[in-house]
Amino acid sequence: SSHEHRLNFRKSKEACLSYIQDALLRKQWKRAAEFLTCYVESLEKDYSREHIGPSEMIWRIGTEILWHHSQSSMKEFNCFMEQMKTLGVKRYLKVCLEHVFHLLCNGQIDEAYQNLSLAESWRFGEQTAVQDKEMKLIEAYRGLLDYYSWSKQKNILLEHSEDGFSDLAVEQEMHSYFRKAAVNLKEIIKIPGVWDVFVKCYVDLLEFYGDHNEARQVLNEYAYNSKFPSNPNAHVYLYQFLKRQGESKKSLISALKILHDIVPSHELMIDFNTMLQKSKKRKKRRLGLEVIFAALDYAGWKENAKAWSCLARQVKQIVISEKHLDWIKQEWDSRKDWWPAFHFSRYLAKRNWQENKSLSYEKALVAGILLGKDCKYFKYVSHQGCKAQLKRFRILKKFVNRHNPVYLRISG
Amino acid sequence: MEFPAALFPSYFGAGPPREEGGPAPVAGWGEHGQVLEGGPGRRQAQPAFVPRRGATGERWETADAAAVPVLLPSAGCWIPSPAPQDILYRSGLCKKLRAGKSGATLDFARQLGHFFVDHPEDAFGSLGQLLHKNFYLGNSKLKVTVSRNSTIRMTALVEDIDRLEARRGCPRQHLASRLRWFSHLCRDWLFEVPLGLLADCLHEELMQQWSNLLFDDSLTGGALAWLPPEDEGTPVGRLVHPGGHAMNHLYFQDVVLEELPRARGSPAQFELSGRVRQVAAARVDGEDFVGVRSDYHCGVWRVPGRTGAAPTPLQVIRTDVPASCLTVSPHLPGELSVCTQSGTVYLWSVETGLQQLRHDPETMFFRDHSPWRWSDFTAHPRVLSCADRTGLQCLDARAPKKCHFDLFKVGEEAGCQQGERVVLPMYLGRAHPSQYLVTTQFSVYVLDERLPLVPILKWAHMMKAPPLFAHLLPGNPGRCHQVLLGASRTQELLLLQYRGGSQSACQLAGTPQKLHSIGGCMQHLPTQLPHRQHLLQQRLTAPAAGLAATLQEDGPHKSLVVFQLSEAGDVFCQRLTHKAAQPPAPPSRDEATTAPGSSPLPAAALRYRRWLRALSRACREPPQHSWHPSLSQRRLFTRRDLEGPTGPSSLQRQMRQRLHQAMQEGGRIQRWEPLAVQPPPLPQALDPAAGPDPLSARLTAAWSGDWEQWWEERTSFNVAQRRRALRERRRRQKRARGCRSLSASFTSSLTYQSELSELSDAGPTLLSPGRPPVLSQESSPPAGSPAVHSPPASPAPDEALLSSQSLRCRGIPKERRKTLRDYLSVWAEGPPEPPEPPGSQASQLCIPSSQSQLSSASQPRRKRPRMGF
Repeated sequence: SSHEHRLNFRKSKEACLSYIQDALLRKQWKRAAEFLTCYVESLEKDYSREHIGPSEMIWRIGTEILWHHSQSSMKEFNCFMEQMKTLGVKRYLKVCLEHVFHLLCNGQIDEAYQNLSLAESWRFGEQTAVQDKEMKLIEAYRGLLDYYSWSKQKNILLEHSEDGFSDLAVEQEMHSYFRKAAVNLKEIIKIPGVWDVFVKCYVDLLEFYGDHNEARQVLNEYAYNSKFPSNPNAHVYLYQFLKRQGESKKSLISALKILHDIVPSHELMIDFNTMLQKSKKRKKRRLGLEVIFAALDYAGWKENAKAWSCLARQVKQIVISEKHLDWIKQEWDSRKDWWPAFHFSRYLAKRNWQENKSLSYEKALVAGILLGKDCKYFKYVSHQGCKAQLKRFRILKKFVNRHNPVYLRISG
Repeated sequence: MEFPAALFPSYFGAGPPREEGGPAPVAGWGEHGQVLEGGPGRRQAQPAFVPRRGATGERWETADAAAVPVLLPSAGCWIPSPAPQDILYRSGLCKKLRAGKSGATLDFARQLGHFFVDHPEDAFGSLGQLLHKNFYLGNSKLKVTVSRNSTIRMTALVEDIDRLEARRGCPRQHLASRLRWFSHLCRDWLFEVPLGLLADCLHEELMQQWSNLLFDDSLTGGALAWLPPEDEGTPVGRLVHPGGHAMNHLYFQDVVLEELPRARGSPAQFELSGRVRQVAAARVDGEDFVGVRSDYHCGVWRVPGRTGAAPTPLQVIRTDVPASCLTVSPHLPGELSVCTQSGTVYLWSVETGLQQLRHDPETMFFRDHSPWRWSDFTAHPRVLSCADRTGLQCLDARAPKKCHFDLFKVGEEAGCQQGERVVLPMYLGRAHPSQYLVTTQFSVYVLDERLPLVPILKWAHMMKAPPLFAHLLPGNPGRCHQVLLGASRTQELLLLQYRGGSQSACQLAGTPQKLHSIGGCMQHLPTQLPHRQHLLQQRLTAPAAGLAATLQEDGPHKSLVVFQLSEAGDVFCQRLTHKAAQPPAPPSRDEATTAPGSSPLPAAALRYRRWLRALSRACREPPQHSWHPSLSQRRLFTRRDLEGPTGPSSLQRQMRQRLHQAMQEGGRIQRWEPLAVQPPPLPQALDPAAGPDPLSARLTAAWSGDWEQWWEERTSFNVAQRRRALRERRRRQKRARGCRSLSASFTSSLTYQSELSELSDAGPTLLSPGRPPVLSQESSPPAGSPAVHSPPASPAPDEALLSSQSLRCRGIPKERRKTLRDYLSVWAEGPPEPPEPPGSQASQLCIPSSQSQLSSASQPRRKRPRMGF
């Protein structure tokens, strides 16, 4: 009958859990809390072999309830967390991290820092791979907090230096923060992952102390190491660093070229296109056209007036100079079967005209050149523009009519 | 399209998932995941951190206590899909044997039997007709005719089968040899379809049904769509849903979004040639394109944006292999993507036709047996995602072989668990052009195609069944997007909120919220009769088949209307109202949502009643083309069995005629006796002097309580009287008997028996247990007559039996008389035969007293089986 008892116990435990779950999903925090006090008994006879045991469940549910319960306080929350840390050795670091996160989100930076230091010094036998990762994160977050302290000291120091006197103690403190932060941040960004915050802070530290080579190396590693995910931000950080360093156009372009290959729809593509358009080299201008065409392929750029004006400007240039019409033709070839419906439908003409006249102007120009003067979009917009007696639309109409043969050459 | 300046930190590993898997009931609670410095206070003294999960979200509260029906149930009863008990083998023994094992056994034999009974023409058609004459189905013996040699009696076989059925599950069951012989003889040629082939097909079908019961992925995506009104002001949208008996009708129903959404007008209706599995819709250039998937057909409709415009069917394609996915492009009009279970992905354009993008029966990242494939659109109109259970890839339709990248992998990259599989991918373009939703049975992921493989959000959804349906309700820039997840079998509905993706990193906001399911309204319906209640429950808890939702903004009031479709074709809805600003210390923060058990609004109650009434009406009406199961009786009985009276007798005719006449005249029939027939002799007038009849007397006595006394009187009186009569008769007989004859002896004994039976009829002695059968003692017959309680069927061999005269009378040949005599003498000394059952005794008693008149030929035949001749 002990077996039966155990079974019944298990059953009532499950029932209790399902009540708690239901209450949580209906945001009935008080009800959930009452059930949880009953569920605590399940710790007594923990025969379960599920990968989430009762103690973890109590931690998760309790935390969730304390987040939302109208009568909970930070003090109670801290108390609960301390108890939860003692419940399971395997989960200690995880609970510490979550505790720190909650403290950080509530602005209790110092308490968070204390907790991180405490967790960092925790040792218990051999660590598993997961615990290893958690420990690294704890160190990294402590490094981050050290960085913020450094940054604070730096600002104080900068203000003081403006005032004309230097504070040696503050400076020393700042340097010690730098050392602590740099050691920890350097560690985590070696491991493959998304470490945007840590990389940014570390590079900032290095740049402040003039270690540009190290900074460049870190950013290159972060952007180009194939073990890391292809994070657009890594390339953006590198590009921004190069820009800050006053690097040559060539290296900037090559950094952006790689970003273009990874994310053709990145917002930096406008800058890239502008940079390329200004270039004297044909190849680069050609790339510029490619970049802007590729960006406008994406749904997110559909109504981006800036991008359309970039395209319109470049197309206009090419048409006027009557050189390199083949560039447009080549770009257009892979798009002529779907761009008309995607960008230049009558419905969009109407809507663009109503919502954004300058957008419709740029688009009408491109449509008129790519699809000829009989294209629906161009016809509608130029008609509306002339009706509204807008001068630039009349000029647009003339321009497109004059250059109509271009359309025949492109589409031919 | 901006990309967040900094993302939440995360590890990135490659390879198969390391974390051990399993359903975790609370895995989604109590975690912030990571934090990131963000928020406005960049220049403040202290950095402000935001969590990945646990930020406050918008507040949505359910307006009613339960989901409310939108449409009245369609006519005709719904036939529920098979339940586990329909196809699983259930037997006590089987249960005992498999105790501890979780494996299920399919009841293959029963299903094959059902097939033979339900489709005899398909199973035995031609041979059945050929053999018709050779199978005799009557009960009686076959006549000795020419046909006897070529005809077999099937009744015995049927009996054997019944016996076998009765012994089912018995460990010592043996096949009846006759059955074995028959099946051995016929197995190879009797069946229209070779038995092995048929069994294979049936087994395959059973396995299919069973795996569908465990997880039916054909419903992925859901078969419900909401087409919002073109201009936001009018509250009339259109609901696209399947219906009808086989869910093969497609309806476009106008629905007015009032307090309780209601249908307006009659729907546009299309009959399709298959069960509708999925309805997908997207709006391009102000027009809705609705894609409909059934197993072997996919179709596309165009619905003009203005209200009231009729939907036009555009194109239909047929596939050889069942299609598993159909999605409509949100970018280009008339473009769809189709996947089939053979692993082929097509881009389908109404104008240019089908373009095959990929054909690969194998799964992408590791081997998985599921043939399920999915495909959807991405931010780039020419780039499509294609998915199987192992992950997602994006490929460029212009060069599908060369240009592709991995978007999501079930593996360490996304921090998956072991055994985790993709259930539903969905393009979240309306929230953010490059975002993607992927649900698995454990978690829900939000992906950004600019940062493939690394989920920008991950959360364990804790749903009991995998989410097969999802719906996105995009919020304005900077606001929360709402995502609804729906499961099929358990009808679960979960509302999630997230924000970010362009200026700030993606965050899960608020807590997940459980919405009402269709089955939850059961408690608000009036109580029914038990069987109705059961049917109702079955209907309301039918698996969900689709999910749709719409955001309704009415000035400052925002509300969310969620529609849920069930497999029975019912569409229920619920409204969630948006609570704009959260008070700083909300007193009603807890338990503010409608608690279960609270009663619905009066309007909803009315809606329930109307729905219930319509449902009972729909179910009561017999379907128009009902084919009552019928059995052919032609072959079960011989013609003679079926031969009734040749027609109405003259008496019946006469009666009918009178009835007609009376009806025509409007009169009535007072006496039924035919005029021509002589009135029967009047019953003998009751002799008042004789007192009440025995029954009345007995009942009166019983009523007054002295029944026993009455009985005593009666028996003593009766027995004495009878005894007298008996003696008198015997005397007469003795006088009449010139010689001792067998027939005479039989007669006498039979007479006595009949008298005995009369006697027992007169009083219930033998039936009343409390009373000892004193009768035989009291009425011991005179010497020489057989004992009363000896079995009358086996009278002691009288000397008379053995006389040669009597034997000759019975037609026994001379040479056998000696043997018979010897036998009978031995038999007389042997153990007495066990008494026969009362039935046969009665039949013996019923032998008329004119037994002597029985033909001499029939006598030995009657005896033969017993004597072994």
